[in-house]
Amino acid sequence: MAGLEVPCGETLGRHKVNGEVEMKKSSAFIMVVPGLVILAVCLFLPLLRVIVPTFSDGEYPFSAYISFFQDEYYMTIFFRTVKIALITTAVCMIGGVPTAYFISRCSKKWRGILLAVSIFPMMTNSVIRSFAWINILGSNGIVNRFLMAVGLADKPVKLLYTEFAIIIGSVYLFLPLMIVTVSGVMENIGDDMMEAAQSLGANRLIAFMKVIFPMSLPGIIVGGILVFTGTLTAYTTPQLLGGNTNMVMATFIYQRAMAVGDWNGAAVISLIMIVVTLIVIKGFNALANRLDRRGESNG
Amino acid sequence: MAFMTLENIAVCYDKKKQILKGLNLEVEKGELVSLLGPSGCGKTTTLRVVAGFIDPQEGTFRLDGDDLTKVPVHKRNFGLVFQSYALFPHLSVYDNVAFGLKMRKMGKDEIDRKVKDILEVCGLTDLADRFPQQMSGGQRQRVALARALVIEPKLLLLDEPLSNLDAKLRVNMRVEIKRIQKKLGITTLFVTHDQEECFSISDKVAVMNQGVIEQYDSPENIYRHPKTEFVARFIGFENFLDLKKSGDVYQTADGKVFAVETPHEEAALTGTIRPEDIEIDREGRTANVLEGTVGVRTFLGKSYQYEVSTSAGKFMVNMRAEDQFQEGDPIRLYLPANKLILVSR
Repeated sequence: MAGLEVPCGETLGRHKVNGEVEMKKSSAFIMVVPGLVILAVCLFLPLLRVIVPTFSDGEYPFSAYISFFQDEYYMTIFFRTVKIALITTAVCMIGGVPTAYFISRCSKKWRGILLAVSIFPMMTNSVIRSFAWINILGSNGIVNRFLMAVGLADKPVKLLYTEFAIIIGSVYLFLPLMIVTVSGVMENIGDDMMEAAQSLGANRLIAFMKVIFPMSLPGIIVGGILVFTGTLTAYTTPQLLGGNTNMVMATFIYQRAMAVGDWNGAAVISLIMIVVTLIVIKGFNALANRLDRRGESNG
Repeated sequence: MAFMTLENIAVCYDKKKQILKGLNLEVEKGELVSLLGPSGCGKTTTLRVVAGFIDPQEGTFRLDGDDLTKVPVHKRNFGLVFQSYALFPHLSVYDNVAFGLKMRKMGKDEIDRKVKDILEVCGLTDLADRFPQQMSGGQRQRVALARALVIEPKLLLLDEPLSNLDAKLRVNMRVEIKRIQKKLGITTLFVTHDQEECFSISDKVAVMNQGVIEQYDSPENIYRHPKTEFVARFIGFENFLDLKKSGDVYQTADGKVFAVETPHEEAALTGTIRPEDIEIDREGRTANVLEGTVGVRTFLGKSYQYEVSTSAGKFMVNMRAEDQFQEGDPIRLYLPANKLILVSR
């Protein structure tokens, strides 16, 4: 239609369109304002106040950070934290994805029941949850008593206050998150996908790996990010199940700030944790894109 | 023995509801056979038994002499086209079609050659790099067909493949399906509830009702000589009158006499005639005539359809535009002996 009009009319028309678009943008902006204000006052400002001083600590701007990465003890804690978060995420994926698929294939009634059961751990207080694990993993706990009764061990095996204990506790804590997120995505994948793959010669396992898994990848990535960031920042579980010998970043921050009174040191670790989280989220997304593109190109 | 046979297949869900009650079907090699019936008649269940998604409680499914009843889906080597198309959204057209060949661990070059061949046959060569969500319904349909055909299946199973397309595309696609099916000579089962679609495409039609096949014949024979009232109703007969045999002719309850061209061995049965086959009696015939009153008129384009109340119930009658009647007019309907068909009740 624009082609039939004289140039003048065309520009007029375009102005009008632009005006409309701008109006929509501005009204959208107004709606974002309340959220932005809350974020600015309650998140960005305090964060800046905590982080800015870390750059004037020491001789040059980044010396506090450089000395963190030069300190062997700090680095042990740093890598332990990342390792625990990665292992927890991997275990949650391996355990959660098939479970989520199973739940998503159940009838509506059973789906509700099974989801409620899998969310159940999240409804208990994390301190109580961790104490339950102390009961199970402790030297006089259920596992050790069983091992000794069967004769697999003569004296209690050290399970509690290890990285293993933290990972177990974290998996228990975050597995529901993975299951709920992934089964939500998988519910929307029709049975016909599995059936089509089977009719083309794939057994159920291959059909799952080649069709259902890649189709639910967006949900798995979101679940992975939730589990990873959750484990990275969890405080109660590593504190109660890891003890003082297996410090992670979150418990370490608390120790620096509250026990030692080194607020600047705590702030440095905080910023490093934020950066690590952002990098990992970026990494997850890049991975998702790569896997997706592999599907897109002809193989 | 026929190429594909279903013998006495019984399927029930929940132990109570019986879907298939001893179904028998024989299909010759290269034939396109339709399963036609209303929803819930068990036609899709039959297809799913053949595909291997449903284990029948009883009965045997044989193909080329082999008993495949217990063979799992992925080892049957049948091509399936779903009503929803079920294309893999994360794969391109090319990869969707190549999926089945990759499962067969074929070499890359062989896969490439076969995929390109079938894309050519289905007219999809230019769309190979597209993704399912970037295509129209008709194009997706062709991809689904190509994906099912490329594995060179022993059977092609189509589950209401055209019902998600608009009317015009549906006609084009069914010609397309028929063309490809004949070209590749592949034995095909086609599930549909649309009788026009089914008649136009099939070599043979199995009309199903409540878990059994009511009639299995060529489209022409079913159209001209339905065997039961159910089949007649399903393929467009709208007028029915109860008849009893008396000598060489048939009588209604109130004594009206009807002659038919093709007699029937049963004594009590139903006479049926299509709305377009009824004529108006102006000559005062005594046999094959029903008297009635004209009711509501509807416009059908080529003709008008009148609802006529008679002593034998309501009759639908199609008449040319020239024969105009008003509501309430008396009318004499003539049911020609060669058009009045007898069916079992």
